[in-house]
Amino acid sequence: MAQHSRPTDPVEAAVRDNRRPPGFFQRLARGRTALISLVFVIVITLAALVGPALYGVDPTHTDFASNNAPPSRAHVLGTDRLGHDTLARLLAGLRVSLLVAVVVEAINILLGAPLGLLAGYFGGWVDIVISRLADMFFAFPGLLLAILVAAVFGQAVTEQYGSTARLVLVAGSLSLVGWPLMARYVRGQVLSLRERDFVLAAQVIGQSKRGILRRHILPNVAGLVITAATLDVVNAIVGEATLSLLGLGIQAPATSIGKMIVEATPFLAQNPILIFVPSITLTLLVLAFSFLGDGMRRAFDPTGR
Amino acid sequence: MLRFFVRRGISMVFVLFSLTFLTFIIGHLAPGDPILVLMGARQDPAIYARLRHLYGFDQPLFTQYLNYVVLLARGDLGLSFSYEGRPVRELIAQGLPISFGVGGLALLVSLIVGVPLGLLAALRDGTFADRGLVALALGLYSIPSFVLIPLIWMVNLAIFRAGYPNLPQAGWGTPSHIVLPVLVLAAANIGYITQLTRASMLEVLRDDYVRTARAKGLFERTVILRHVLRNALLPLITLLGPTTAFLVTGAFIVEVLFNIPGVGRIAVEAVGRRDYPVIQGTTIILGIAVVIMNLVSDLLYHVFDPRIQLTE
Repeated sequence: MAQHSRPTDPVEAAVRDNRRPPGFFQRLARGRTALISLVFVIVITLAALVGPALYGVDPTHTDFASNNAPPSRAHVLGTDRLGHDTLARLLAGLRVSLLVAVVVEAINILLGAPLGLLAGYFGGWVDIVISRLADMFFAFPGLLLAILVAAVFGQAVTEQYGSTARLVLVAGSLSLVGWPLMARYVRGQVLSLRERDFVLAAQVIGQSKRGILRRHILPNVAGLVITAATLDVVNAIVGEATLSLLGLGIQAPATSIGKMIVEATPFLAQNPILIFVPSITLTLLVLAFSFLGDGMRRAFDPTGR
Repeated sequence: MLRFFVRRGISMVFVLFSLTFLTFIIGHLAPGDPILVLMGARQDPAIYARLRHLYGFDQPLFTQYLNYVVLLARGDLGLSFSYEGRPVRELIAQGLPISFGVGGLALLVSLIVGVPLGLLAALRDGTFADRGLVALALGLYSIPSFVLIPLIWMVNLAIFRAGYPNLPQAGWGTPSHIVLPVLVLAAANIGYITQLTRASMLEVLRDDYVRTARAKGLFERTVILRHVLRNALLPLITLLGPTTAFLVTGAFIVEVLFNIPGVGRIAVEAVGRRDYPVIQGTTIILGIAVVIMNLVSDLLYHVFDPRIQLTE
């Protein structure tokens, strides 16, 4: 303590002042839409996690006394054609949709990011093999590959391993389309990082390749990975709904937001609220994740636009 | 120029290989024995062996793939399982013109609407109109088609209930049936094209030669029409590839919900019947359509902008 007794030293003052640059969350919170989106995403996630328990209505319970009913005290958002409570189904559906999104992004991050890292950092034939592999999956436009895989293996997986496995299959087929994109992003980022001064400096002082990868490259790639995964949640949610719509998603009696929309479509004229509830939820969710991802991108990269 | 064609050719072959190879492998790994399904109740080992031979399942995997590719090159996509040996090509040939018609019209509509909206937004940069158009584009881009379709149906229903002439909700046959599907397919693309046109315009508007054109006293209209527009619209050609991919995925949902007998619906029906050759065939055909569109957009880009080095 006694050593630091010269408060006039400008360096000392600057250190004492300790005005650290604003942290990630502070920068994120600066954008209003990103903050609102973050709050919305948290609320929806909580609703999916604890909502079913709190609301306490079985989403598969059929109330034949009131089917296709408008909102009432017994059924806050009405019921569907089989007398299922819409709010209960919405909460259960959110759970499935978000779970699929989490699994998809987990696979994308665990598979795509390391491969991109290896390809970008080691280059040479490692890069060639990984990049060509990713390119193979890019040959399929849009969801075509996911549709193909889910279509070919769907029924057998459900029959043999049950509906949870079906959910994993849906997520897996969606990440067939997602991981090459993640790998490509990470590879690009690593390629540019590799030429930066601090990496060169680390090489000069003789740090090992693994050390550089872990200490210098990885922390700088993490932001990109998280941002890309957040933005890709949109694709996962819409993709799951698309597969559900084509009859390839999760099977009854379980439900997802996409499935709710599909099932409500024939009753458009009689019971519009039935389709309105999941549609608006899905749209808001998609917008929230887009804005959140956008905000994160800006927060991670304060210099860029 | 020659180097470009060689490189482009190699990459196209690679894409086609990936497309056919992955599709083939997935079909091969498919659970269940299609021959048993095909034979139904009449199980007879002799017939089984003959059918297995007829479909070529008794050969090594690699030979099967080679045969598959050779047949593909001849335009033979194999035989459908569920339509009792009808060629897949025949089934797809029925749906293809319909899907391409709807998709092509949607592309046209999205260009006709999206480009002017993007121009308008860029020229009114920062104003209320600009922000409104940007929000509209974002909305159109992010609303999934299966949310948009019920919305459109509700509007159409309301028009019908109010006693005005309305469009058919779904189905196929008359020109009026084509309107709603094309609008839905175009919607997301309109959003996409508006955003990109706006971004491209804003970039060009900042360029030095635009400032020069203004500085030498040209009318703003001349600056925009002669100098800005040409360079700003050029990058839109590259959109052709991604847009087609977009339309392909969109076609599945739109054709199913609007009950249009295109390739998308054929594929979805085949999914229900576990008719793998049809699923494989549609996947490959749609993949090839995107490959071709990517090539066309690359070539067009070169034709319109000689500065582009095709060797890259």
